[in-house]
Amino acid sequence: MIPFDFEYYKPDSITEAIQTFQDIESQGKKVIYYSGGTEFITFSRINKLSADAVIDLKGIPECQVLESLGDLLVIGSAVSLNKIAKSNLFPLLGQAVKQVADHTSRNKITIGGNLHSRLIYREGVLPLLLADAQVKIAGKEGEQVLAFEDVFQQEMKLGPGQFLIQILVEKSYASYQYISIKKTKTSKVGYPVVSLAAIAKDSQIRAAFSGVCAYPFRSAQMEAALNDSSLSIEKRIEQALSRLPAPIVNDIQASREYREFVLINALEDALDALKGAIS
Amino acid sequence: MQDRTGTAVGKPIQRIDAVEKAAGTVRYIDDYTLPGLAHAKLVKSSYAHAKINSIDSTEAWKVPGVRAIITGKMFPYHIGPILADRPPLAIEKVRYYGEPVAIVVADHEHQAKRAAALVKVDYEPLQVVNSVRDAFQTGAPLVHENSGQYMKIISNVYPVQGTNIGSHIKIRKGDFIKTWEACTTKVKETYSFNLSDHVALETRSTRVEIKSSGKVIIHTTTQSPFTIKKVMNQFFNIELGNIIVHTTIVGGAFGGKGTVQLEPLAYLASKAIGGKMVKLNYEREEDLITAPCHIGVEATISLGTNKDGKIIAGQYTFLIDSGAYTDQAAGITRAMALDCTGPYNVPNVWCDSYCMYTNHPYATSFRGYAHPELTFAVERTMDQLAKKLSIDPIELRKMNTIQPGDTSPTQSVITANNIGDTLKCLERARELIQWDEGQRLEISNNKIRAKGISTFWKTSTTATNAQSGAILKFEADGSVNLNCAAIELGQGTKTILAQIIAERLKLEMNKIHITMEVNSSYDPHQWRTVASSTTFLAGRAVLAACDDAISQLKRTASIALKCSKEDLEVGGGRVYLKPNPDYGVQIKDIALGYQYPNGHAVEGQVVGHGKYIQRHLTPMDKETGFGKPGPWWSVGTQAIEVEWDTRDYTYKILKAVTVLDGGTIINPATATQQMRGGMYLGLSFASSEAFLFDEGGIVQNPQLRTYQIIRFGEQPVEYLVDFIESPAADGPYGARGIGEYGVIGMAGALANSLSAAAQVELNHLPLIPELIWKTKKEHLK
Repeated sequence: MIPFDFEYYKPDSITEAIQTFQDIESQGKKVIYYSGGTEFITFSRINKLSADAVIDLKGIPECQVLESLGDLLVIGSAVSLNKIAKSNLFPLLGQAVKQVADHTSRNKITIGGNLHSRLIYREGVLPLLLADAQVKIAGKEGEQVLAFEDVFQQEMKLGPGQFLIQILVEKSYASYQYISIKKTKTSKVGYPVVSLAAIAKDSQIRAAFSGVCAYPFRSAQMEAALNDSSLSIEKRIEQALSRLPAPIVNDIQASREYREFVLINALEDALDALKGAIS
Repeated sequence: MQDRTGTAVGKPIQRIDAVEKAAGTVRYIDDYTLPGLAHAKLVKSSYAHAKINSIDSTEAWKVPGVRAIITGKMFPYHIGPILADRPPLAIEKVRYYGEPVAIVVADHEHQAKRAAALVKVDYEPLQVVNSVRDAFQTGAPLVHENSGQYMKIISNVYPVQGTNIGSHIKIRKGDFIKTWEACTTKVKETYSFNLSDHVALETRSTRVEIKSSGKVIIHTTTQSPFTIKKVMNQFFNIELGNIIVHTTIVGGAFGGKGTVQLEPLAYLASKAIGGKMVKLNYEREEDLITAPCHIGVEATISLGTNKDGKIIAGQYTFLIDSGAYTDQAAGITRAMALDCTGPYNVPNVWCDSYCMYTNHPYATSFRGYAHPELTFAVERTMDQLAKKLSIDPIELRKMNTIQPGDTSPTQSVITANNIGDTLKCLERARELIQWDEGQRLEISNNKIRAKGISTFWKTSTTATNAQSGAILKFEADGSVNLNCAAIELGQGTKTILAQIIAERLKLEMNKIHITMEVNSSYDPHQWRTVASSTTFLAGRAVLAACDDAISQLKRTASIALKCSKEDLEVGGGRVYLKPNPDYGVQIKDIALGYQYPNGHAVEGQVVGHGKYIQRHLTPMDKETGFGKPGPWWSVGTQAIEVEWDTRDYTYKILKAVTVLDGGTIINPATATQQMRGGMYLGLSFASSEAFLFDEGGIVQNPQLRTYQIIRFGEQPVEYLVDFIESPAADGPYGARGIGEYGVIGMAGALANSLSAAAQVELNHLPLIPELIWKTKKEHLK
């Protein structure tokens, strides 16, 4: 049970949402946007989150789009993970988000929520980093389209009052060979010890990771090592590991040493799966 | 033993509660609400061990709707089922993370919850006792400074003042010291696992009100309504007759609802607001760590054999992590000692079983009551001994199986009537798991298939006066109502009792009405619904009630039929003449007495009553353990086949086998399902579950987000269940208890299969891939 009272707003347009945010904030109240609500509920009920008001983005038509439009795949921020997976619009994204939480929760969790998760995993990020995705952001100055990698710096860096409307991915990314690997402590349902998404583009592997470090990432240095065809597979992996952007996480899901072991296996599997498509 | 008529016993009859459960219309305790119901929420400790300097509730009182804030000062006394060592609300200090410190009562649940978060407790952290090994050290900080002064509620509990030993149970059988020297092969190993939880689907919930008449009405989710009465009488000075406990279908218990924690808190809450009804229900996080959980253990076992591989000496040291309070862990400490050898004949036994206080959440019963835990250690030792002796693990077990004429560790004599047939179980399990194909098979580059076996026994250490009662009331249509306080917690006990009635009265199942609700003021006394004892105890009580009813039916019928009682028989809804079955009377015509054609009536309603109490049980001698603490042993063998990946150390459970000798099986379908459920629980405990503590004793995974359990879809690919039915002379139709048994051998069998697969000794739980990886890495060093 959520132990505090809060106001609930469900705007049906982007401008109304932005206006509502400003109005409430100007009253000195703490206001947050949400869509699926799973984290709002689960963190609020254990006193780790509170708000005076929430703005539900599910009523905004633009946030519910899930379609192919010209050269672009358009994915609304309020689309549920199960819907994305089922649509098969962007198979790698579908695969990656299908591994989040459990089926019942994925009916509620949305891609926007996953990208903004308070937990360190945010596995929906990985395919977007690989696909040079763009994001459409709403704010009081209007809408803007930005590169996802500029907005996502370890976590989503949106300005006050801004929210994510849509994710835009070039259609060609849906056709590259890909692999998505998630390894947990034991159960299929659980946080990743290592989660890896990779694609083969222009004979090169692109790889992004979650669970390994304290935030999801894609690393040009690591990719350079993985694509160094002068080296054996083992050497490539060894090189890549030496170029991790941050220390490997050591927590109750797995020790640092074991995570490294799992990561090596995952990289071997990824390179093996894509071997025909990379040099 | 009773003769079977074939009406109901031994038939796979559908469970009485199946339809309502499948339809989702069952109501559990927390599903009920009432106008004016007040709600209580707990303020819980944020430290594992700390002095309480002060409690400031100023801010909490500002929340609208708050009616009372109660601290330990309201009831500064200790309670407990075995040793009274636990204040319902912490006084002076807290001893575990999540311990109840105060109760807030408010008009609405969210108000109480919000206010609870605003109660400020000033703590002074104390040094934390974070493992049984730390607790056992001389000079360790004390969790309880005055344990020697606590009141003993039952005998056989021995706290040692000035230490963290909450109880110490000894077994001294034969001459271990001398025999050990003569052993030709010896093995000594240590095993361990952390505390974990039951994770019943239904979290604990209770409602209490105190009527102006003085009656205390308790609605609660419990396995032990009469123990609640006892506790409320013993510690709160309420007359027994004034305490009324109601319960309904329990949504899973697994031992966790056998003890009493919530009800006294809700009673204090109700008392603080003038006796109004108060509801106190646990959210999942509270149910995991504030409520009592499952013990942790560190066990060291030494086994020695003669040159033929016969075990002649065994030493067993158990350090049981009972957490902050002894609760049922003190009884588990005793149970672990009295069956310490497993179903093997060990003539010389030295066992020290210690119930250790630590600053962890406190533990209570868990399905199997010491046996899944001790069996893991014993069965791992048996496999390591077999390896050392180069004997097949099954052969070693067969050579050492305990037999009629041998004695148990407490020197109870084993007879053909009080134990099942272990050898038959072993042989059948061997066939089912296809043991002779090979224990370890490489099936591809990086896949190994391996098998593990585990044999087990268990006696039910009930109170020596554990008992049950039953009342059968006949309706005017000839059907029967049963009043019996056996609790339905998913095990199917109500269906089993109905089958026993149907069999005895030779009546259709649909003529037997069973209510799931239990009301302590209408139902006869029942010890508890624990210890796999209900089919046995309540089954015998129900049989006695049937016999009483039959006698009354015959008496009334003899008047109606103008003949002697001795010439009559009951069956098929009639009472009839044995020599001429066509001549008789319908039960419906005599159920409420017989009425003569002129209107005169005699005898009245048929109300059968019956009871059963344990026979000849004794406590155990303090120095040697000598005694007869349980009535019989059910035995069994379990086996697991895994497919293990040599590259990433993950594994899949392919087959899980249980072969149990539980005497006559009253309902083969529910018994099979009970074994499957038990295996699932045991495998979840063995493969996934454990509370993880930081250096301050804070639980790192107090949520199902991070506390791992086996999920649907991760169960074994195939369950194989079979029964050997060596009838128990005392049991109803020859039945023994079977409730807990499916769990007992799982950890041992899984660890044995994975040890065989990975070719390392896996002696710790849970068996996560990282543990196998780490053990293998250390082994290769």
